[in-house]
Amino acid sequence: MMTHSQRQKTGGSTVLCGTALFRYVRYDMAATENRPGLKRLKRVKYLMGISYVLIVVGAIVIVSMLALQKTDQVLKDKVNSLVASLNVQMKLNMDSYLSRMETIGTLAFAAQETYTYDATDPDNDEYEALQTEKAISDKLYSLCIMENFVDYGIVYRNNHAIGKISNGTINLFGDDMFTEFEGMITRQRTRDGWAAGYQDNFKRIYYVKRIHENALLVISFYTAELERVFDNPETMSEMEIRLTNQNHDILYSNLPDEVGEPLPEAVAEMIRDRNAATVMDDNYLVSVDSCGDDWYVVCSIPTKIILKEKNEMQYYIWMTAVLAAILAALFGIWLTLRLTSPVETIVSNLDSKAHIDQLTGILNKRSFEDYTTGRLSGALTIENHAMILLDVDNFKGVNDTLGHAYGDQVLSKIGSILRAEFSTEDYLGRIGGDEFCIFMNQVPEDRDGYEDFVRFKCESLCEAFRSNYTGEDGTYKVSASIGVAIFGKDGSDFATLYAAADQALYHSKEKGKDTYTFAGEEDAHEAQG
Amino acid sequence: MKHRVKGLLTAAALLCGFLGGCSEHQVVTENRNVTEITLSWWGNDARTEYTLEAVQEFEALHPDIKVNCSYSEWSGYEARSRVQMVSDTEADVMQINFGWLSEYSQDGTGYYDLSQVEDTLDLSNFTEPMLDYGRKNGVLNAVPIAMNAETIFINKTIYDKYGLDVPETWDDYFAAAAVMQKDGVYPLSGVAKSVWLYTLTYAEQMTGTPFLRDDGSLNFNAHQLRIMLEFYDRMVENKVIPQVEYYDRLNIEKGIYAGGIAWVSDAKNYFGGAADKGYEIVIADYTAKSGMKHGAGWYAKPATMYAISKNTEHPHESAMLLDFLLNSPEMAKLQGVEKGIPLSTTARQTLEEEGMLQGLQYQASLKMEENTELGKMNAFVENSGLIDAFIEACDLVVYDKATPEEASQQLYRTIRKDYT
Repeated sequence: MMTHSQRQKTGGSTVLCGTALFRYVRYDMAATENRPGLKRLKRVKYLMGISYVLIVVGAIVIVSMLALQKTDQVLKDKVNSLVASLNVQMKLNMDSYLSRMETIGTLAFAAQETYTYDATDPDNDEYEALQTEKAISDKLYSLCIMENFVDYGIVYRNNHAIGKISNGTINLFGDDMFTEFEGMITRQRTRDGWAAGYQDNFKRIYYVKRIHENALLVISFYTAELERVFDNPETMSEMEIRLTNQNHDILYSNLPDEVGEPLPEAVAEMIRDRNAATVMDDNYLVSVDSCGDDWYVVCSIPTKIILKEKNEMQYYIWMTAVLAAILAALFGIWLTLRLTSPVETIVSNLDSKAHIDQLTGILNKRSFEDYTTGRLSGALTIENHAMILLDVDNFKGVNDTLGHAYGDQVLSKIGSILRAEFSTEDYLGRIGGDEFCIFMNQVPEDRDGYEDFVRFKCESLCEAFRSNYTGEDGTYKVSASIGVAIFGKDGSDFATLYAAADQALYHSKEKGKDTYTFAGEEDAHEAQG
Repeated sequence: MKHRVKGLLTAAALLCGFLGGCSEHQVVTENRNVTEITLSWWGNDARTEYTLEAVQEFEALHPDIKVNCSYSEWSGYEARSRVQMVSDTEADVMQINFGWLSEYSQDGTGYYDLSQVEDTLDLSNFTEPMLDYGRKNGVLNAVPIAMNAETIFINKTIYDKYGLDVPETWDDYFAAAAVMQKDGVYPLSGVAKSVWLYTLTYAEQMTGTPFLRDDGSLNFNAHQLRIMLEFYDRMVENKVIPQVEYYDRLNIEKGIYAGGIAWVSDAKNYFGGAADKGYEIVIADYTAKSGMKHGAGWYAKPATMYAISKNTEHPHESAMLLDFLLNSPEMAKLQGVEKGIPLSTTARQTLEEEGMLQGLQYQASLKMEENTELGKMNAFVENSGLIDAFIEACDLVVYDKATPEEASQQLYRTIRKDYT
């Protein structure tokens, strides 16, 4: 049996299948999730924004990292070079100092008695020997007068000493003075040598030079004198400057407490087997240069101190990068919005036009079917829904009598009536020229009286038509014939419900219009007319 | 649109300004302006160490002052000081010997007038008689650190071993030598200067004639000098003392020297080692002729003094350092009684509070302070050239190169010619 609508719209030729028989519902255009086109557009918009942010942030991070890496390398090279220069300067100072001491020592040979006299000779006349020693002593004193020497004298094999041999040295070496000093000679070419740390006493540094088989020239100065040799620029005040022997025992340090101790292992490890190098790792920057024979000048500083400015600079670069990234991201988002906003508006309008009946402001036929079908597909059998099919009675007469413009006003007014009568939860659709369909989602508080609720709605709807178009001004009477199908009882899919409602509508028409009929209630009461 | 253009122009202007600010410009780093002054002193290792430590503390208190130090042991220091003084290269602040005031500042202009820096250097810690030691021609040239005198230190353990009392008279030492020499032990010992002053005291006591008159002129003649030479020769010959050229301070610790003549300030330096080895070291009475008061013919003087160079370019900073060295609790604690009991009341008070007024040096200082017979030493007697000439004359006698008469005549002529 052909439905009433089919009969009306196709003139009896049935070309629409059940699913094509759509009724339309009221539709919330603000909800994007109900609008797939807009949803896709928003997704594209977000994708554009995120992509922009990622690209810009990524670019900033990469550029910052490259800049930092390059800066870091350049800075480290420069710092290494600077410390290496400082260390070389210290080494030159030390070499120069030692050389000067050796030169002053060698001056002792200017007096002939120095190398011809032998205090151990048993044939010496005691008085003459005393006079000679006095002459040598006077000479030695005059040679060392302007230097802070602790010792500047001659020690003989019998431990007799002349010149300036201090009480400290006599106490330190005691009766082994000659033997111990002789053992300090390391350079055979010049028959001399440097030594420090005898019996763990690092207060003095000794220079010993052989005069002849039984005599040694002994020079010493306080280790503290090296403070002037290793005077450090105040800008490098945190530099640890040390002089070590070949075993890396510290002979001098600007940290006085560690004199005599071995070089800190972390530092020693970095310069092991190196004579002239500058090495930097995460912990230390160490520079070493050999001086004299077997001594080393070692400058070191914790890396975190020497590169403190670099770390601060790194922090500021990163802060700047983050700030730039945030600004770029905000700009990118703003730009994306500016670019997509007009498109979104256009698409939104097009989308609205595609879904909304422009005359009545409710869903068009296709959209109504889509949303109602969608709603039904997930509906549980216990849910309460109703499909109300409405056909405007005598609408052709309105068009014919009052013109199409007025007819359009009537249709527009019907849209308003429907929106007023039903809730926003319900779907409202215009499915034909003068046919409307409502899919009710609204549920009354009393679920048991659902059909009464629907009935009430139908009566209210009929009354709304009557009050609007059976007016006092005598305008053409417009009423509504309504067919109602209840979800579950009359069907559970769109086509079945629609067919049931259409059948009921047919009966309403049959009964004389301006009434409503529930599916399966051909004897339903007529509305008051 | 207008607003946009305005905004763009403003942004462009800001960017240009920023980039302009980042363009080339001078980088200026102000270097710390440090006033450098120099300090010189002589002394043993201990003195050098604590003085260097004190300098570090001073520099920490005054970061804008850097103190360059010049120091060595006594030997040769006097000659260096002479070179520096006559060549105007002396240190800003100097430890000086009492005798140098006469040598370099007879009229009071050889050193800085310290009364000019009295607002920085607190002189109220010193009594006027003490400050008088540092005045020349009425000008305050130096401030004494402590008093000093040659003192007799006796190894009582050794003396007890030989059944001998601590000597009091000259004869006691000869008697002791007679007992000890079989073991090669000397009852007394001393370096050249100490022995010179010891024989001088002997001669003054024996002749009743002071070496110098009140006006500082030489009072001794060849006869008194001959007594000194003969006494030295007799001491060497009888093994009372070793010959000064062969003096070996290690022999104190070894027990070969049972006594010594040394300055109060050298107590620890010379006899600390023997005390550490368990020997009992005591302070003997100042040697005297029988029946004579102990202390007659003996002299006291300021141990060392501090002065400021007359050429200093930084008198204020030098005075700050000087005040620190003389009066500060920091220096007092570091120095202790190494130079004797400090004359500065604040320094002495610090030592009292710290319980540091004790030990051999303190006992020697007390012995000196309690003796009322000690005279005020004239700086002339410390002249190193004079002492060298005396030892040279002694050797002529000891080695029979000249008779005491000849040697004393020669010495007298030398003193008259070169040192008066």
